[in-house]
Amino acid sequence: MTEKSTGIFNWIDRRLPILNTYERHLSKHPVPKKVNFWYMFGALASVVLIIQIVSGIWLMMPYQNTEEGAFASVEFIMRDIDYGWVIRYMHTTGASLFFAVVYLHMFRGLMYGSYHKPKELVWIFGMSIYLVMMAEGFLGYVLPYGQMSYWGAQVIISLFGAIPFIGESLELWVRGDYYISGATISRFFALHVVALPLILIALVFMHLVALHEVGAGNPEGVDIEKFLDEDGVPLDSVPFFPYKVLNALVAIGIFGIVFSIIMFFFPEGGGYFLELANFEEANPLSTPDHIAPVWYYSPYYAMLRAVPDKLGGLIVMASAIAILFVVPWLDRSKAASIRYKGILSKIAMVIFVLSWIMLAWLGTVPVTELRTTLSVIGTFIYFGFFLLMPIYTSIEKSKPVPDRL
Amino acid sequence: MKKLFLILFLFCTHDVLSSGAEPCGDYGECDSFNAELRNLESLQLGAATFLNHCYGCHSLQYSRWGRIAKDLEIPEDLFEANLVFGSDVKLGDRMTGSMVKEDSEAWFGISPPDLTLTTRLHGSDWVYTYLRAFYEDASRPYGVNNMVYPGASMPNALSQLQGKQILTCKDVPILASNGGIKRDEMGMDLTEEKCGYLKTLPGTGDLSGEEFDEVIFNLVNFMTYVGEPSRADRERIGWYVILFFVIFTAFAYLLSREYQKDYH
Repeated sequence: MTEKSTGIFNWIDRRLPILNTYERHLSKHPVPKKVNFWYMFGALASVVLIIQIVSGIWLMMPYQNTEEGAFASVEFIMRDIDYGWVIRYMHTTGASLFFAVVYLHMFRGLMYGSYHKPKELVWIFGMSIYLVMMAEGFLGYVLPYGQMSYWGAQVIISLFGAIPFIGESLELWVRGDYYISGATISRFFALHVVALPLILIALVFMHLVALHEVGAGNPEGVDIEKFLDEDGVPLDSVPFFPYKVLNALVAIGIFGIVFSIIMFFFPEGGGYFLELANFEEANPLSTPDHIAPVWYYSPYYAMLRAVPDKLGGLIVMASAIAILFVVPWLDRSKAASIRYKGILSKIAMVIFVLSWIMLAWLGTVPVTELRTTLSVIGTFIYFGFFLLMPIYTSIEKSKPVPDRL
Repeated sequence: MKKLFLILFLFCTHDVLSSGAEPCGDYGECDSFNAELRNLESLQLGAATFLNHCYGCHSLQYSRWGRIAKDLEIPEDLFEANLVFGSDVKLGDRMTGSMVKEDSEAWFGISPPDLTLTTRLHGSDWVYTYLRAFYEDASRPYGVNNMVYPGASMPNALSQLQGKQILTCKDVPILASNGGIKRDEMGMDLTEEKCGYLKTLPGTGDLSGEEFDEVIFNLVNFMTYVGEPSRADRERIGWYVILFFVIFTAFAYLLSREYQKDYH
């Protein structure tokens, strides 16, 4: 650097802690030296967040948030704008992969106990991100105003109506009209592109600040802060830059391959990423035979349908998300990682994953009597996994966790 | 006991996994259709069929005339002279159709849907099968019904080419529960009469069965193109993007491995 530019840098650095922040959060930030691929999904989630924000800004320019214009403006993007389809498929593929990556990230957290003391707040911020993402995804899905946008919104908004006393007024307030209309689209648009992304970014920031305060975990559940060198840096850590950045680059490269295969060759994802019924403009007079949410909501939709009563279904669905927030206090195990937990935890984890996948599938197919029974069983397993956690994690015998990585 | 569980399991999974309705209605499974989006000749012929036989009733409202001429490499003067109807149409216009909505509702009961996205909505397989599944049915207002979409309000617009198609019955081998053909004591196949097969009456149409199938293939190929005009481009560009990421990943991996030697 020339003398002059160092001068400018120093001038700024005295007023804004650039160097300090860079060193604290990037160049010298210690991360456990041995982690596996499960630890890459957090980085990938932030990559997808950036993809969604950038592609979203460009989609917003030609998109029309009116009842008459919404559907046609999406086709305008797909046809009349040069490479408009790239931007749009990036956003739709990104939406599904955002959830895919976040689900894997959450599962990593469950598996390796990424919520164990003192990481409770990291977990809670993460769950808040997930909750906001679900709302963000739903609002965004309504915007192209296809048949499934309309009828999906109809189902979800009507859930508010099931809340006693205030339900009906709340439903009206959310919808902005007596039926789903231009008023609904424009308010959903405002929430989707301004309000929720702001909250999302703020939460991601807090998730990261909290994480950097308590330190990242590892698959062994070892507390690397126990053994420090003379500078106070954990012995089993390496600086984030360049070591972990390079690992992340490999993960981003592989993710880029997967993303491009879907985006360029299977953008509809077999009807799971872009539902085929959404290629028809919303028609309030014709209900589709089969209303199914996009795959990332489907486990919770299966739970909603498993309960015959609307309010009951709503409570079950909301509790299914709410219970995730208290996992740090449900797990009584001394070991954080599944590797050192007892057999009961391992069995519970396997059954939980299988039943979650079953629920995800059940949420996408039409109901039959047998499927409803399976949904009920799946719902019990889902809640059983969490509600029984204090019991099975305290009676089982966990293996001793090693001191070093 | 094991066998009993197995049977119970198979029974359950069958019941859980089967979706109930067949994708192509009474026709059953749709005939498969593999689009050839680089086959310009097929797309051009399909465009001609569409504009001559379908566009009278159905619009392609999200598509523009000029885009089709450009993508299918049809010279603009030829395109305007032969395929564009109406002298006030400009190539930059959307193909909004020529039928007045109120009229069509009076004639058909519902106004014919816009077809820009039909292949994406129902799948090209479905459209390909649907267009070949009309049969004579005197009980319907236009004298035809459709196996894929029973009760369709659409007349068989291409019957002049296809000829009259009827539903017939024929003798088919009886299948045993294990999937094999049932035979009598003499070893002859046992047959039963089953109905619901489509048969074209010879000599009633301008084209043979294969020729007609080809016309429909080209037509559906064109409709698949119109559903997503950038698809051929998308698949072409996709390979380069994937190639980029493969090279990127390889270098990132090598670099990362080199740096990992510092702490392993």
